Amino acid sequence: MTDPVVVCRGVSRTYQQESVPVHALSQVDFTVYPGEFVSLSGPSGSGKSTLLNIVGGLDRPDEGSVSVDGVDLGELSESKLAELRLHKLGFVFQAYNLIPVLSALENVEFIMQLQGVSPVERAERATAVLDRLGLADMLHRRPGELSGGQQQRVAVARAIVSEPVLLLADEPSANLDSSTTKDLLELLKQLNEEGMTIVTATHDTMVMSYALRQVHLRDGQIEHDDQVQSA
Amino acid sequence: MKLLFQLSIRNLCRNKRRNAMLLVAIAVAVAGVNATNTLLRGYQYDMLESAINNLTGHVKVMAEGYVDDPNVKHSFELSSEQLPQLPEGMVVGWADRLRIPAVIMSERETRGIELVGVDPAKEDISFIGEAEIEGEFLQGADDGRVLVGKELARQLQTSVGRRLVLIAQGADGLNRERGYRIAGTFDADGTGLEKNYVFVGLSSLQALLETQAITELSVRVDREEQRLPAKSALRAAFPELQVKDWRELDPQVAEMFKFADASLFIWFFLMMGALTFGLVNSLIAAVMERVKELGMMRALGMQNSTVLVQVVLESIILMTVGVVSGTCVSLLIYWSIADGIDLSAYAEGAEMVGVSSVLQPVLLSEDVFLVAIMSIILGILASFYPAWRVIKIRPLDALRR
Repeated sequence: MTDPVVVCRGVSRTYQQESVPVHALSQVDFTVYPGEFVSLSGPSGSGKSTLLNIVGGLDRPDEGSVSVDGVDLGELSESKLAELRLHKLGFVFQAYNLIPVLSALENVEFIMQLQGVSPVERAERATAVLDRLGLADMLHRRPGELSGGQQQRVAVARAIVSEPVLLLADEPSANLDSSTTKDLLELLKQLNEEGMTIVTATHDTMVMSYALRQVHLRDGQIEHDDQVQSA
Repeated sequence: MKLLFQLSIRNLCRNKRRNAMLLVAIAVAVAGVNATNTLLRGYQYDMLESAINNLTGHVKVMAEGYVDDPNVKHSFELSSEQLPQLPEGMVVGWADRLRIPAVIMSERETRGIELVGVDPAKEDISFIGEAEIEGEFLQGADDGRVLVGKELARQLQTSVGRRLVLIAQGADGLNRERGYRIAGTFDADGTGLEKNYVFVGLSSLQALLETQAITELSVRVDREEQRLPAKSALRAAFPELQVKDWRELDPQVAEMFKFADASLFIWFFLMMGALTFGLVNSLIAAVMERVKELGMMRALGMQNSTVLVQVVLESIILMTVGVVSGTCVSLLIYWSIADGIDLSAYAEGAEMVGVSSVLQPVLLSEDVFLVAIMSIILGILASFYPAWRVIKIRPLDALRR
């Protein structure tokens, strides 16, 4: 059997909210295998974003262990975690989070610049990805000149351009209308069919419907974890 | 680095008005510091010029004991007319003198003065060579007349062409006395000099005192930086004699000179220190309004150190543009006052101590360079705090803002 991309064992996370402890995750076991398209769903405060952030190395659990692509995140320094995020993970955020002073092409090139990819290769790969996502005519537009859907596609392009082992998307459809959401989900589905592993935190049923595995959380624990048929 | 430079430039262009205001503030501060420096340097160099002109020179060779007891007994003979070999171009001029205390008498008054035997041809290195003379200047080393200061002439109630009597002690300890006619009176822009010095031909004075000796050899070099090499060379050439530079001979002026140096730094830190607070505030505002963006970059894998470099780079760019603009403005200011500022209406006190009433600004490239470098270093230091503030926010917390 293939090695899992993500392994969480007994993960707990408690936040202090005005001195009151809030148990965001309690003893969660969660494994993701290569090629899976997983949706983490649940009501607000169920712990889906916390789990996504812990898997993405943006947060650390109070208890338990997390490994991504065989690397135990608990043993990594902040600097090594940043390196792992740079080389192994792709992020799509709810609010697109593009760099406003860079063009679409430069935003996509940004990750590769941090990785030290040569300018020629960077430009080729970024152009190809944007072309594939239907943004060939918008390479030199800045985020402020793009619609929400176009910005989210640029964000996806930025996340996938360096071919990460895992794509993490936090509420990717939150700011999109249903038509644009559908386009985005078709894109994610297509990427998944090409072998990309995707984990998304969402409460959007349309996003869940595209996932091949639906993990539902409640009160910081996994309530159910279902494999579903392809949409 | 190209990415960071690109990001920094574009980020600076984001808030044009704020950064333009900051640039103006930096430019004004740098121009202010540079302009003040040129005036302070002008004052400092004027003070130095006065000290050196005041028969001191940059370096002086004297007999042992002369400083404590300026007497003809503490004199020496210059073996040849030639100055010991100093590096070419270093020496502007030199003068051998016989300088002793004496008493001068007119028909009405008597005063204690310093009697200076000079070779007039060599005195272009001291104030007397440039002084305005009423009557005649001494014609040669054997001129048996005297030059007295205007103020002394007034006090002695005498004038050009009249006779005075000088009494001085010879090497044998016996007093010599002789009558001298006044060749001229000199105006030295300072009553102190005019009251103290009486000049006579060197050979004439040597004849009066029955000696061939001199009490000092004063050397003037081309630039202040050559003072110490010249001093070393003269020490090697005159191992039996005392060799002192103007800083040792005129410690009060040396202290004031040092104080002027210190003033440059004090002024710099006052001006730029105030500016730094503004810079820190602006940088904090600039980075805190981009916390989410910087948090996103770190979430994507940008290292904290890279974020720090980016913030520092923004500050360096701002400072560099501000410093270059400020330096250009200060050059314009310097150019506009290069002929000097006439302070005669306020400078009576200055003339009393021999400082010129026209303040001539002096622009030193090393001062301009130092201000530029120190400003940029200050900018770098000022950017660390905002960078640190943004780095200490976790990427996740930054993204939630």
